[in-house]
Amino acid sequence: MQSKDINEDIRWAQINEDVLRSLENPRMGYWVAVGVCLALLALAIIAEIYQYRVGMGVGNLNWPHMWDLYIATFIFWIGMSHSGTLLSAILHITHADWRKPIYRFAEAMTTFTLMTAALFPVIHLGRLWNMYWVLPYFSDRGIWPNFRSPLVWDAFAIFTYLTTSALFLYIGSIPDLAICRDNARGWRKKLYTALSLGWRGDDRQWRNFRKTYLVMACFLIPLAVSVHSIVSSDFAMSIMPGWHVTTFPPYFVAGALYSGCAAIITLFILLRYFFRFEAYMTMPILDKTCKLTFAIAMVWTYLNLIEFASVWYGHDKVAKELLIAKFTGPYSPYFWAMLILGSVLPFTLAFEKLRTNIPVMFVVSILLNVGMWLERWMIVAPTLSLSYQPFAFDVMWANWVQWFIVIGSFGWFGLLFLIFVKVIPSVSMYEVKEMIFHRRHIANKDIAAVMHRRATDPKPAGGQPSGASGSTPGTPGLEGA
Amino acid sequence: MSNKVNRRDFLKIMGWSGVGATLAGCDLPTTVTLEEGKEEVVSYLMPEEFVIPGIGVWYASTCLQCPAGCGVHGRVREGRVLKLEGNPESPINRGRLCQMGQSGVQAHYNPDRITQPMLRKNGGLTPVSWHDALEVLAQRTGPGSGLTGERFAWFTDTISGHQAVLLDAHLKAMGSDNHYVHEVINNSVTRAVNRDMLGEEQPRLRFDKARVVLSFGADFLGTWQSPVHNATEYAKFRSPPRGVLVQVEPNMSLTGANADLWVPVRPGTEGLLALAIAKVLATKHRKPLDKLPAAVQELILGYDVNEVARITGASGDHIIKIAGWLSERSPSLVIAGATAEGHEQGYQIVAAIMLLNIILGNVGETIEPAGEFPFPQLTARTGGTRSLVDFAKALEEKRYDVVFFRGANPVYTAPKALGLAQKLEGVGFKVAFSMFQDETTALADLVLPMRSPAEDWGTHVPAYQGEDRVISVQQPLMEPLYTETRGFGDVMLSLLKMHKVAGYSDYEDYYAYLRDAFAAMPAVLKENHSDDSFWARALQKGVIPVPTTQGSLTVKTAAVEVPGDSGRGEYPYFLVPAARLGMWDGRHANIPWLQEAPDQITKVVWNSWAEMHPSTARKLGVKTGDAVRIASSQGTIEANVYVYKGIHPDVIAVPMGRGHEAYGRYAQGRGVNPLKILDPVTERKTGELALMATRVQVSRASNEKVMVKLGGSESQLGRKIVATVTADVFERTEGGA
Amino acid sequence: MSLKNVFTDWSRYRKGIEEGGFHDYEHMWGMAVDLNKCIGCNACAVACYAENNLAVVGEEKFYKGQAMHWMRIERYWDEPDLGEDRVKEFNHHGANFIPMMCQNCNAATCEPVCPVAATYHTPDGLNAQVYNRCIGSRYCSNNCPYRLRFFNFYSYYESSWPEPLHMQLNPDLTVRDKGVMEKCTFCVQRIRAAKDKARREDRKVRDGEFLPACAQTCPTGAITFGDLLTLHTPGGGVGETKVAQMWRDHQVELGKTRQTKQNPELRGYRVFEGLNTDPCVMYLERVREV
Repeated sequence: MQSKDINEDIRWAQINEDVLRSLENPRMGYWVAVGVCLALLALAIIAEIYQYRVGMGVGNLNWPHMWDLYIATFIFWIGMSHSGTLLSAILHITHADWRKPIYRFAEAMTTFTLMTAALFPVIHLGRLWNMYWVLPYFSDRGIWPNFRSPLVWDAFAIFTYLTTSALFLYIGSIPDLAICRDNARGWRKKLYTALSLGWRGDDRQWRNFRKTYLVMACFLIPLAVSVHSIVSSDFAMSIMPGWHVTTFPPYFVAGALYSGCAAIITLFILLRYFFRFEAYMTMPILDKTCKLTFAIAMVWTYLNLIEFASVWYGHDKVAKELLIAKFTGPYSPYFWAMLILGSVLPFTLAFEKLRTNIPVMFVVSILLNVGMWLERWMIVAPTLSLSYQPFAFDVMWANWVQWFIVIGSFGWFGLLFLIFVKVIPSVSMYEVKEMIFHRRHIANKDIAAVMHRRATDPKPAGGQPSGASGSTPGTPGLEGA
Repeated sequence: MSNKVNRRDFLKIMGWSGVGATLAGCDLPTTVTLEEGKEEVVSYLMPEEFVIPGIGVWYASTCLQCPAGCGVHGRVREGRVLKLEGNPESPINRGRLCQMGQSGVQAHYNPDRITQPMLRKNGGLTPVSWHDALEVLAQRTGPGSGLTGERFAWFTDTISGHQAVLLDAHLKAMGSDNHYVHEVINNSVTRAVNRDMLGEEQPRLRFDKARVVLSFGADFLGTWQSPVHNATEYAKFRSPPRGVLVQVEPNMSLTGANADLWVPVRPGTEGLLALAIAKVLATKHRKPLDKLPAAVQELILGYDVNEVARITGASGDHIIKIAGWLSERSPSLVIAGATAEGHEQGYQIVAAIMLLNIILGNVGETIEPAGEFPFPQLTARTGGTRSLVDFAKALEEKRYDVVFFRGANPVYTAPKALGLAQKLEGVGFKVAFSMFQDETTALADLVLPMRSPAEDWGTHVPAYQGEDRVISVQQPLMEPLYTETRGFGDVMLSLLKMHKVAGYSDYEDYYAYLRDAFAAMPAVLKENHSDDSFWARALQKGVIPVPTTQGSLTVKTAAVEVPGDSGRGEYPYFLVPAARLGMWDGRHANIPWLQEAPDQITKVVWNSWAEMHPSTARKLGVKTGDAVRIASSQGTIEANVYVYKGIHPDVIAVPMGRGHEAYGRYAQGRGVNPLKILDPVTERKTGELALMATRVQVSRASNEKVMVKLGGSESQLGRKIVATVTADVFERTEGGA
Repeated sequence: MSLKNVFTDWSRYRKGIEEGGFHDYEHMWGMAVDLNKCIGCNACAVACYAENNLAVVGEEKFYKGQAMHWMRIERYWDEPDLGEDRVKEFNHHGANFIPMMCQNCNAATCEPVCPVAATYHTPDGLNAQVYNRCIGSRYCSNNCPYRLRFFNFYSYYESSWPEPLHMQLNPDLTVRDKGVMEKCTFCVQRIRAAKDKARREDRKVRDGEFLPACAQTCPTGAITFGDLLTLHTPGGGVGETKVAQMWRDHQVELGKTRQTKQNPELRGYRVFEGLNTDPCVMYLERVREV
């Protein structure tokens, strides 16, 4: 196995060339993928139009199953959004530079999963045309949303997180957009010119960029933690057995990071394969990602056990009966599947042989996310089925309407992602260059000299040629070495 | 309504006590038809003074959803009746109402009402005008038709009050005495026993005075005699000092569900159990049997409790416990209902049960004489299922050329074995006075659309009145929804006019007749009121109290012989067609509220089910929700099973009321009708159909239909939703109050 | 819209939140349901359908669990209070019926979770549901431990009231359209009518002046309805309503998670009292001779 995270001998022009190539000339496979995504989306749209016109009952929602797949899938997508934050923000401030080749698409995933997730609260509303009532707009009648409701917190959290992560993604791609601008023609030229905001790569811009990026990263981390904590309070703030759990916020955040990491592995493998990014998305990086996923899986398992134990040893009879019902009742196949997929399957990640085997990892990463989706469903559904009032016990299975909308959300996400990979470089060119630079000169005294010069001389002699605007500033002469 | 009375006059006549029908709703196109020059519209701007838009006014009337005859108040707003409540003035229901009464408005507004007369032409029913319909009636049944009295019959449900007077007058005019009164849910056998043993058919039962009520299948809270009245009495019975309720029956009824002790027995062995209890009373508790004939005493003392326990399926402990209660707490009340009556030996069984009342000295204590009702012509003509058997026999012999049907739906309720539908083909001219296109109406040659009880006039004297006797007044609560419908009384008067019966031809309509009849009432009822004031008072209160003469009960016992256990043979299970408050005998199957109201015991909605004991279910390998095929020698029905312990292991119970082949969108094709597969066995003494005597075999069927029921868990899981205390505690805490 | 209004509204809203809603109750409507008298006959449930324009959903939708039974009679077969051996013989003591209608909790769990405050506590002590405001997030129903909130999964107008059944609809309240949550209101339209009448006549609402449809029709009179506020007036006694009297007699008090009864044998209890929902419906335990 390759031991280095990245080949340090790779030429910077090569990087530009490789990455920019991924933006051009979609091949047949791309259009097939777009077609599939559109088809899935069409299913969801058909189902939604039907549901909108006839009523929420068409999806088999009932009393007491007022929520079901929509809310489960909503949490699932919110959870997945934590991947990008983890890789770009947390690993950024902890200086884990192996993240650099893969954080861009992870960040994009954050934005797009949030855009997908945000659809679900709207879809699930009985009168979705009134959804803006959740927002605190000024009204002469003095009607405010209910600030005590976790659903209002949700609305705030998601909107904040979505704007921040979208900004973060955008800001982080500006240097790369400038490279695109310099290499593009036609409509792309116009697009990238507008998007790159006149990036020239001069020193002042780089300094401001660094600061902004760091500030955003710092802002995003607590936000990411809070957003899933708030989503968990949709359940934790209620009094229902199985929902009213104090460990839910960390449990949800752990679960979120878990599914996010698993999704990164999936997309990592796909991008590596389809765009031939073997040079950037290398096996050691996959290896590290897998190790990270394994660690988070264990945290998640631990929190799961804590929840079981606290219910088991607690005096809440109803919650205990619900827990037993989860293991033995009508939902037990799914509950056991969730436990096996979520806590047993990740042990494949503990073995180097397996975690460096790309087909195996591809399957495992998808199964992990299936497990995480089941986890969300197993939080929502059993509590609704079997709560306090025994007379209201009911087990209900979703029908095609709910499933179409859930499946369609994957089409929607896929579509967004497919557009993304053809518009914005899915590998951060400037950060890869930076990484290579650092790696190559890690033991080199030159770096000290370079750093010293940067510190003492804010304006290095001579402007950067536009073609190299994405290269790390203050390192003339290293080009093509 | 006659043409000569215009709408405004109509309202004036009714005055403040009448109905507020100002044709307010312009959204009622079906009702707004004006006859040029004869009628006028009263606009919203000049309504009668009692009509205030937005304010509901309450009018008293009578509920006709079952024969109990509860008084109701109808809430009328802007000319529409919206809601029925109990009439507090009525001693029958004291302001309360059951679910069937509540849904009276849905019978009135039912979308499947018949809106115009129909005549059978070339095989199909075609709409005709009333004029033509009456002409046809005159041709076929009028004086010149050549129809003789013995070739003519009326087939009705319970009928009382002035409608009964008119019906009698019509029968007399026809020279006929063929009046069949049919009720599936009845207590004819008990009435016969009461008549023979006590000298009164319907003595007054004092649940409120009783300390113990021992009921053999009398579902007095659900379907027996006067359910709402019984329920109000039950509340008193359960107040401190709290009475004990013991229910003995093959499958759990609503009353059984409220019993302190519920004893499942094999159908037909109730009499044995009663005698065994009598024996324990005599031997253990030293109750004297001297009021009974020697033969009966001997019979009672001859029973062995353990032997009886074996035969009946009740445990010996329970028998001793019941006897203990009966002896310790006095007075008690022992009653018998449908499941005890419905056997070949039903009379004997009920008589054996009634012996307990005599042994315990309840006659005169909790069983009081009801007294003589001073107007025998107004009392209820009530009946049971014997009328079905007799009617079928008469049809077999082709005794009738013309039959008038009103209220009853014999084609639906008659067992297939009676072959009523086929035999009716032999009747040349069948006339249905009906609101709905039910099974009987569908076979009729002439269909006369009736007004709903909320649109019609009438008076009612229910057969059983637990408290002060009254005449219940029924007045229209709103304008008729359909102008082409007519009131029963109006049509009866037209018929009488056709026959030129003296004394009836002068009346314009039934309203005028009633006014006259009220004016003619004796002074003791009028309490010094003028005719108009008495009329207004009657309408306002909804009831006219009728003082009764003091009666007395005589105790007379004959020898009783009680059947033992009969063999099992090819058909191992008993079929119990269970009567339920809700669907009743099937007449409410077209009411969506009642279809959607969960059955009290099983919580099943919209469909039929079969109740089964867990041990039986285990034997058959079925569980709740699975379908079974229930076959008697007369036919087969299929239903989903509800498995629970509230039924004797040898019994399969299927509720009555569903399985209609006609009767509108809510009833048609829903569930099964257990009455159809009954064996045509009759009670030996009274000739009633023995409804509980049918044996069936049960087998699994393929599950084509799911069972829809409310409620996920049958158990509280220890969560204290319904908490229970023992009667001792209750006595300690609230007994002193 | 002036900015001043906005701030006034906001401060009023904040104050309301901080103080935990209303405290100066005009009334506190409550019930006492005597399970010793309840026979489970269903009259109350059908009366509720008649009074409150409840949609009949039909067999198929009932099967899917989309029925609208604001008032339902729950029927259980076991009697946990009478001990294990008696649970086995359960049928010998009949069924356990309990009418469940919205408990109008004073600490209602449905209220804080509604994102648009469509359900809130009125000065009448009622747990009100504002149909116009409801956006159908259905969180309230999920958070109701009694499961007494029902959602309009469809538009029932056409299917439930074919002509001329629609003429029966009570004009005092709306027919709810799809996407809206609904529940028992203690017949708020009757409460309003009685209060308006009392105001016109310049007096207070009298006890028993009106009843909700269920209490009015109950054949055994198992449901007692009235104002509980007189329970809290010092001395009680004079002017105490019948229902308040019953609460006092059974030593059940509002605002408690566990009743501290002097006589623990008294029958009054509230369902799931331990959840601190503070329901306004007191049940009196069923009585059985054993």
